[in-house]
Amino acid sequence: MAQSPADTRDSAGWTEEVLPTRLTAIRESERKVLARLAALGYGEDHCFAVRLAFEEALINAMKHGNRMDPSRQVRLAYRVSPERVEIYVADEGAGFRPDCVPDPTVDENLQRPCGRGVMLMRSYMDEVNYSANGTEVRMVKYRANPVRGFPKSGRRC
Amino acid sequence: MMKDNIIHAMDRDGVTVARIRAEAILNEDQVQAFGQALLALADVPGRRVILNFLGVHHLSSLALGELIRLHKRLAESGGELCLADIDPRIWEIFAITRLDRLFRIFDREEEAVAVLLGEGRAET
Repeated sequence: MAQSPADTRDSAGWTEEVLPTRLTAIRESERKVLARLAALGYGEDHCFAVRLAFEEALINAMKHGNRMDPSRQVRLAYRVSPERVEIYVADEGAGFRPDCVPDPTVDENLQRPCGRGVMLMRSYMDEVNYSANGTEVRMVKYRANPVRGFPKSGRRC
Repeated sequence: MMKDNIIHAMDRDGVTVARIRAEAILNEDQVQAFGQALLALADVPGRRVILNFLGVHHLSSLALGELIRLHKRLAESGGELCLADIDPRIWEIFAITRLDRLFRIFDREEEAVAVLLGEGRAET
């Protein structure tokens, strides 16, 4: 059987990809990450959390980072082990200060249609760390840690 | 080929019940289709809409943005957007973002219909 691109992992288990700045390009990478989780028997709750955070991080990188400029790219790396899921996303934009993103939950911002992606990433992943200039984000979800909003069903994704 | 509409809307005595026919509203294609379908619901000024989320299991912040746009459009024309039948995991997203304070959320579509119809009668 031919080796799929999903199996091109380095010796440390990382898979690296360079994506064009096109939102439809996210889907194939997402499918591969989720397939890796499923293969390791991760539960539905962790798959939900990782899928959401993955989407949000890449959408942010393309829309807000690269400003949908097709000449810019997004670097993606991910590693799924039996214990944790690690995702790294880097854009080629001007960067931003995550701590300066307006709080979308306060009354004056509640009706703003944007600005909730980072909050959702922080809510569903155990670690979300940005580089100093805000162009790179690293997220980790540990298998041992529960996902908020999920009863303990034990169902697999 | 004509795409199936992501939302199926029907009138129930002056209240529009709109059922979402998608498992996920995450990526660009899905959100774009969702946004266009929602925009069509705001065509009628003063419309009262119940958006039924039964079967929706994934939702991104882009989709939340589309819901907020519809809420504002309907409110500006004297209408209203209510949400119903939300999966507990999706409900958690509304709770985290505190959008449960912005939207009127009902457990079930039938409950929302009964309340809105009752309010409609009370106003006449």
